Amino acid sequence: MTALIPLPIAIPLLAAAISVIVGRSRQAQRVIGLVALASTTAISIALLIGADRDGILVAQSGGWPAPIGISLVVDRLSGIMLVTSALMLLAVLIFAIGQGGVERQHVAFHPMYLVLASGVAASLTTGDLFNLFVAFEMMLAASYVLITMGGRADQVRSGMTYVVISLVASTFFIVVLALVYTATGTVNFADLAGRIPQLPQGTQVMFAVALLVVFGIKAGLFPLFFWLPDSYPTAPGPVTAIFAGLLTKVGVYAIIRTQTLLFPAEAQLGTLLLVVASLTMAVGVFGAIAQDDMKRILSFHIVSQIGYMIFALGLFTVAGLAAAVFYTFNNIILKTSLLLVTGLVERRGGSSRLSEVGGLVRGAPLLGLMFALPALSLAGLPPFGGFVAKFAVFDAGVQSSEWVVVGVAAFVSLLTLYSMTKIWAGAFWGDPDDRPRQRPDTSDTLGGPALMMASTAAVVVIGVAVMIFARPLYSLSERAAEDLLEPIRYVSAVMGGRP
Amino acid sequence: MLLFILLTHLAIGVAILGSGDRLGRRAFAVAALAPALTVGWAITQASGVIGSSSGGSGMSDGVPVSFSWMWVEQLGLQLDLRLDGFGLVMVSLVSGIGLMVCIYAMGYFSYPKPGTARLAGLMTLFAGAMLGVVLSDHLLALFVFWELTSITSYLLIGNDDRNPRARAAALQAILITGAGGLVMLVGLIIIGQSAGTYLISELLLNPPTDGVIAAGVICVLVGAFTKSAQAPFGSWLPGAMVAPTPISAYLHSATMVKAGVYLVARLAPILATTGQWRVLVLSVGAVTMVIGGLRAMRQYDLKLLLAYGTISQLGFLMLMFGTGEYKIAQAAVVLILAHGAFKAALFMVVGIVDHEVGTRDIRELHGFGSSWRPTVVVGILAAASMAGLPPLLGFVGKEKALDTYITYGDFTGSGVVLGVIVVGSMLTFAYSARFVLGLLGHFGVADKPNRSAEAHAPSAMFLGPAAVLTVLTVLLGLAPRLVDPLVAAATTALDPTASPSTVKLWAGFNAALGLSVLVIGVGLLLVWKRAPVARLQRRFSDAISWIPSAERGFLVALRSVTDGSKRLTAVVQSGSLPIYLLIIISVVAIAPLIPALSAWSDLPPLVDVPLHVPLAALVIAASLGASIVKRRISAALMLGAVGYAMAGFFIVQGAPDLALTQLVIETLATVLFVLVLRFLPTRWADRSPAVARPIRLTVSVAAAVSVFVLALVAAGSRDSVSEANISVEMIARSAPEAKGNNIVNVILVDFRGLDTLGEITVLVVSGVGAVALARAGRRRLMLGSDAADEVADYEWSEHEPVPSAAPVAGEMDQ
Repeated sequence: MTALIPLPIAIPLLAAAISVIVGRSRQAQRVIGLVALASTTAISIALLIGADRDGILVAQSGGWPAPIGISLVVDRLSGIMLVTSALMLLAVLIFAIGQGGVERQHVAFHPMYLVLASGVAASLTTGDLFNLFVAFEMMLAASYVLITMGGRADQVRSGMTYVVISLVASTFFIVVLALVYTATGTVNFADLAGRIPQLPQGTQVMFAVALLVVFGIKAGLFPLFFWLPDSYPTAPGPVTAIFAGLLTKVGVYAIIRTQTLLFPAEAQLGTLLLVVASLTMAVGVFGAIAQDDMKRILSFHIVSQIGYMIFALGLFTVAGLAAAVFYTFNNIILKTSLLLVTGLVERRGGSSRLSEVGGLVRGAPLLGLMFALPALSLAGLPPFGGFVAKFAVFDAGVQSSEWVVVGVAAFVSLLTLYSMTKIWAGAFWGDPDDRPRQRPDTSDTLGGPALMMASTAAVVVIGVAVMIFARPLYSLSERAAEDLLEPIRYVSAVMGGRP
Repeated sequence: MLLFILLTHLAIGVAILGSGDRLGRRAFAVAALAPALTVGWAITQASGVIGSSSGGSGMSDGVPVSFSWMWVEQLGLQLDLRLDGFGLVMVSLVSGIGLMVCIYAMGYFSYPKPGTARLAGLMTLFAGAMLGVVLSDHLLALFVFWELTSITSYLLIGNDDRNPRARAAALQAILITGAGGLVMLVGLIIIGQSAGTYLISELLLNPPTDGVIAAGVICVLVGAFTKSAQAPFGSWLPGAMVAPTPISAYLHSATMVKAGVYLVARLAPILATTGQWRVLVLSVGAVTMVIGGLRAMRQYDLKLLLAYGTISQLGFLMLMFGTGEYKIAQAAVVLILAHGAFKAALFMVVGIVDHEVGTRDIRELHGFGSSWRPTVVVGILAAASMAGLPPLLGFVGKEKALDTYITYGDFTGSGVVLGVIVVGSMLTFAYSARFVLGLLGHFGVADKPNRSAEAHAPSAMFLGPAAVLTVLTVLLGLAPRLVDPLVAAATTALDPTASPSTVKLWAGFNAALGLSVLVIGVGLLLVWKRAPVARLQRRFSDAISWIPSAERGFLVALRSVTDGSKRLTAVVQSGSLPIYLLIIISVVAIAPLIPALSAWSDLPPLVDVPLHVPLAALVIAASLGASIVKRRISAALMLGAVGYAMAGFFIVQGAPDLALTQLVIETLATVLFVLVLRFLPTRWADRSPAVARPIRLTVSVAAAVSVFVLALVAAGSRDSVSEANISVEMIARSAPEAKGNNIVNVILVDFRGLDTLGEITVLVVSGVGAVALARAGRRRLMLGSDAADEVADYEWSEHEPVPSAAPVAGEMDQ
């Protein structure tokens, strides 16, 4: 089983290289991309099952024992994230192929997309702080190219915002890395988990805050998120979907991983996280309410919902962390499906602005359904997966008597519902005839080209499956949470016999 | 079977929705299958659930039907369904009236438009959700269904989606009930966690007494009040009347709005004495009953009259169920049945009038021809039941309510509440009379078109359902014995300790009868003097117009949230990269510094070798220089100087190979810079305001100082870690195990080869990206666009927020 661990990183990377070589044939690129991501998905599922059954899986790169070499680790959290991201990457690739657009025009789309996939997998499996930096760089470098790939002026401009902010974050990341190494003499997570508690408490908290800031920029925490809603929506459709669904959550993953594994209870940032979470939830949703464009509304909701995850994390209880894990993977699925639907709405209605489309439910009821299911779930309405996630967060918050944050979360949840009904009433209800300036493409009876519809439907169905299989999935999240609160399991799995 | 009933609703609803508009109004015939099945099933269960106790004396020995399915039991999310006596009452309301409404809708939608079938499908889904509410024994399952009714109600109200009023009303309904639902969810979690169970049947046996439960009670009540349109959350209900009449009759009078009352009825025996329950429920119910009645008396639209009447009656039901006294609750059970029957019938009559005459405005009704007599009779009988006239079921319920309140209302404030009920009943009498007079044409204004005189009378099928409900009202009023076992079973289901009494039409000469006579007397007076009363009301409402109404309150709240969001977002989301960077770098500078300062011990030795001093000075000077100079090329050279100084550090520290690498990279980078900068303007165009410069400088220096302090703290903490640097072991293993004498090389290609692989990838990707951008730029230049200049000018200039709706469609068309 451990032999499989490097594969989610290696396969897409190798496929990216081959994809460059066969760049002349888009068909070959497609086959390579699909095969690579499909096999990655299968391997990720195998890894999750393995990690859940046999405990934490570890591979030491180059055979060097930790902490000399780089450890690759798949625990339940990593496994869950790997499976979710692999599924989304695969679905969005199919969507992109169906859409044509940038995928067809640009020879580099497939290689970049595969490098992104590899970087995401590396970020999720690495057990090493420096390697995490490298993995982030892989992911980011590919994302820089993807976000500007359309080559339009506004894409380049907002891509610029994205690139500059990400570079600043990376610079600070490397500074923090250097500081951590200076203080502890190691960069291996498991090794760090043993050494950081020996530091003076102030230094521990300093590192905890510094890492929170580093990943907070990526995850889109208040007040570090402002770049996000400005840059994501302008990217080519499927790129936005995968960025919105996945990339910020890799940041969340890094926050969960580092805050639970590296720092002992007395250096945990409970209160800070709760305050940041409340502000992130609220400011994000207020931003969403102020928007008219579906993509921008959804981009602000990314931010708002990151707040829920951080809230749940900040409780540092099994219930809280289980809620955080459940909320995170569920949110990846929902966000991806909503942005894919937005791509379809844009195609069919000629725009993603609510003031320019309308009445879609009549011509394309299936599209309406594919929006309504994840949207209701995102708003946390029962019985959808988002409700279970939200309920788990509330439940954990009430258990810890964090009344204020629960109150904020409830209020934000109402505003989320408001903003989903706004999209619904704007895009799916109403009369398209009295809307200005649109170039609707109503040629498809289904609501869009078959491949785009099918891939979107698949993601929506996965979202519905979360509802149906909420019990085993929540149990899994709970087990993942127990692992996270017992870092010794991770440490002993990685370090083996060593102290 | 319980689950099967719910799933049947789901299946039929989805099937109807899936069939699109193909079924037309026949969709309602299909939809009727679900309630028909439910009613049939409920009848088969009735004898078992009600038990053998006859005539309402003594305990009922009915056995509830139950079903349980785990969903996420770790969170306490599970589906526990239970059909007991009270459940049976609610099921008969939901499905009995549902069946009638489906038949009625076939007449109402005689000319189906696109979307009519959708109403039938959504209504079936709603009915399933509503059954779920009244069958759930588990509070969270109840909540799940509760929210499902809100969603379906949203879709039903807004079904005529081209009508902006319908959309607005749908939004208002879902926002208010959604807000209440969320508060309620928190309340339910509090109650569940402090009681250790979410099962209503278990809560009944072990009422929670925990301190926080008082907060939970308030939260749950807020949810119930919003759903049942209680003051001050009632504003959505009149708006919801924009929906077609069958929908209003079903959701917004007979079933969904009773969900709040239902929850209060279920929880009152458990929580009535907890916290502020009684104060809240009774005061809110009282205010709602009176205000609803007063408003109903002023309406000209028959449907709105009924809507405000419904609000008033829901307040009445709150006043009764909310007490937690089973004797009063028993009267409420009768009343809830009576209300379901007469209100649905009245709505149906209004729908008939609207359908045939084309108006619901009583000023445009001038009396009907003789063929309308059956319709008018049905309307009058149902209204009489609403007014509480004997011998109708409405009278039986109200009489029992007054009687039980007089006899058993022994809690604080019960006298006041009784007074409110009497006043509210007078108002009910008055607006019921207004309804009848309006129907008969007494409000017809001469200069308004006379539409009713030659209107076509409704078909038998159209009137049938209303007639059936009215016959039931009369029949059960004359022989309340027929419902007695059901009412008794419902009462014991609500409160296992109850010993319900008999429901009678004629209870003898008692105080309640006196009050009834008083109600009817004053009611008649109000009707007789209706003109002066209306004037008085108008003057009164003018006098209190400074008090914001609930409707206004909602609009103001909504507007302030949207406006506030816009303002807030305009501030934080400036669209300016420099500002974003400023904020991020400030956070970077400040956040970790605060804990670092607490860890600050003393300054470690800063200088090992004297040569460090000039090197450090060079680095600092060059970086400051790079940020101050205005010429691009000078800045690039300054950066090169920083790099060379770093190489100097490496030499001093004894790493000549690293220094060499650094020198090569720095030289190469500077050369590349110079080559590229040829194409750009020589100077930065600094278009930012003058204040920006000092702020930027401050933040940058602060960040630098902060990192300096962090580095000192980190270095100062090194001694507290006992283990050696991993480099020690790396050096030890390098030659013997990795067979490499150059430790740097071994680290790069062996120990940490994965990092190197990753970095190579990053390099390649960046190259690809640069080429792609350059190509895109060239394409644009060839197209004559100035986008490339735009990018060049971008760097440090403030700019407008990125336009959010670029024509992406163009890209997709290709």
